[in-house]
Amino acid sequence: MIALDHVTKLYGSVIGVNDVTVELGAGAHGLLGPNGAGKTTFLGLVTGQLRPTLGRVRVFGEQPFGNPRVLRRIGYCPAADLLDRTTTPREWVRYLVRLAGFSAAAALARADHALEQVGLTAAALRPLVTLSKGMRQRAKLAGAIAHDPDLVVLDEPFNGLDPVARHDLVTLVRGWATTRSLIVASHLLHEVESLDAGLAVILGGRLVASGGAAEIRGLVDALPGEVTIRCAEPRQFAELAFRIGGVEGVRIEGDAVIVATHRPVAFVEEAVVRALDEGLHLGEVMPADRSLEGIFGHLVRLHRGVKA
Amino acid sequence: MSSDRTGLPAAVWTVAMFQLDRLLTWPRLVMAAVGVVFPAGVMLAAGRAARGGLTSDVQVALLYALIPEAVCMLGLLVTMCPAVADELERGTWAHVATRPNGRRALLVGTWLAAVIWTGMAAIVATALALAVTTIERPVAVGAMFAALVALSCVGRAALFAIPAVVLPKRALVASVGVGLVVEYLAGTIPALVNQATVSLRLRSLLVDWMGWKRKLPTEMQLFIDPQPAWLHVLAVAVLTTVLLAVAVAILDRRQFPPSDEV
Repeated sequence: MIALDHVTKLYGSVIGVNDVTVELGAGAHGLLGPNGAGKTTFLGLVTGQLRPTLGRVRVFGEQPFGNPRVLRRIGYCPAADLLDRTTTPREWVRYLVRLAGFSAAAALARADHALEQVGLTAAALRPLVTLSKGMRQRAKLAGAIAHDPDLVVLDEPFNGLDPVARHDLVTLVRGWATTRSLIVASHLLHEVESLDAGLAVILGGRLVASGGAAEIRGLVDALPGEVTIRCAEPRQFAELAFRIGGVEGVRIEGDAVIVATHRPVAFVEEAVVRALDEGLHLGEVMPADRSLEGIFGHLVRLHRGVKA
Repeated sequence: MSSDRTGLPAAVWTVAMFQLDRLLTWPRLVMAAVGVVFPAGVMLAAGRAARGGLTSDVQVALLYALIPEAVCMLGLLVTMCPAVADELERGTWAHVATRPNGRRALLVGTWLAAVIWTGMAAIVATALALAVTTIERPVAVGAMFAALVALSCVGRAALFAIPAVVLPKRALVASVGVGLVVEYLAGTIPALVNQATVSLRLRSLLVDWMGWKRKLPTEMQLFIDPQPAWLHVLAVAVLTTVLLAVAVAILDRRQFPPSDEV
């Protein structure tokens, strides 16, 4: 369905995506990466908004840039918020369906149906500017699906939503994945994981990992986490830490000792007991750093063949 | 996939209606009302300031400067220039650009909306201004101005489409520059270059339809083209088509990095 062959996209001297080669078949796919990783550029290439600087992009067997045959089969929900002040969701979705080539009557019927699907019927006639971010997000999603595309592309569709709205929309999008192909870009692993989608991880414009949700989760779980311990005797604590099994690395920053380990909970339990036995003065124990940036950083090092 | 598909003309019409709907806000309506009233105010003030009143011909000339030139140019600047910039700012560009023929429909539809909106305001302004003047044969003059307004809007909206797609974020400034350089500088140079301007066609039509050819001093004849009226209308149509085609071709190839949107 989608094939990128050594695709690079440059904005002047800034790299959007860098030598990406990937094939995505029909079905659901998650594109995972932190902000600025190149996800939107990747989607821009797939949805025919951008042309690759190098390489070749094919969607449904054709190059998508400005190609009406391809665009007719795609529904795109961008990450940017809708700031059209006076337009209502009904007018907006009807407008998009008309632009997809449907008659006025068909566009109205499809807009109403799509708004019903995303649960926005009650607010369909209120100006977009008066709606909450979650409601505007639903209006965008309705616009992406109302013309019944074969491929739905969603860029950060759950951004800025409260947990209830997020849960509702995840359920809705998961339902779409059963009837059409889907690409969801997100910087949150659990969001795309919940869609039962194949995952591709992108960072710094490079595709650094791909596979099933379980594979990516396994990769992430296998990464060492960092524990920070503040101690009055950091050098002695660092020596103690090395004597405990499973420690990947230790560094000292002032009175803080940062320990990289695959089993942070067990390490903390053992290290605290030993430190107290040896008369060390502990100040603070910070939990393992499992931040997304840290995880992606490790994935990049893995991708480059550097031991994590 | 449904089969009830419509083509580019329907998409253009959809965009035009959508853009006109967007223009129906109080600030835009107040701006249009000022444009409608201002020529009548100037005509009244000029009539009172002139001792013994202005002749009908002078009033027509003044009205020409005010409506097909000033009102139309200003109206088109605010409606046509932001064709792309508005979409980027509202976060709607990506939605439209990913529709089949969305880019083309956006540009041509916005052009149509700008022509309709500005043209309507200019025609109402003409009617109001004629009501406060002593112009002879006001109905015939009104009809002539309606034609001049239509040509001015159609041609100049197409001219402003170029800066709108080339420099979307600086379209207003660029369009003022293009308007001054192309329409008011190149348009008054008595050489081949002024043949490609709307202002030459409008001036020539005004002189022709008012029967002023023989009244014009010889040196003023340099600033008009003594071709038949149909040729001027055809020239505006060709110019409009070429400018719109170039603007569409440019927009078809434009790429906006994600950071350009909201």
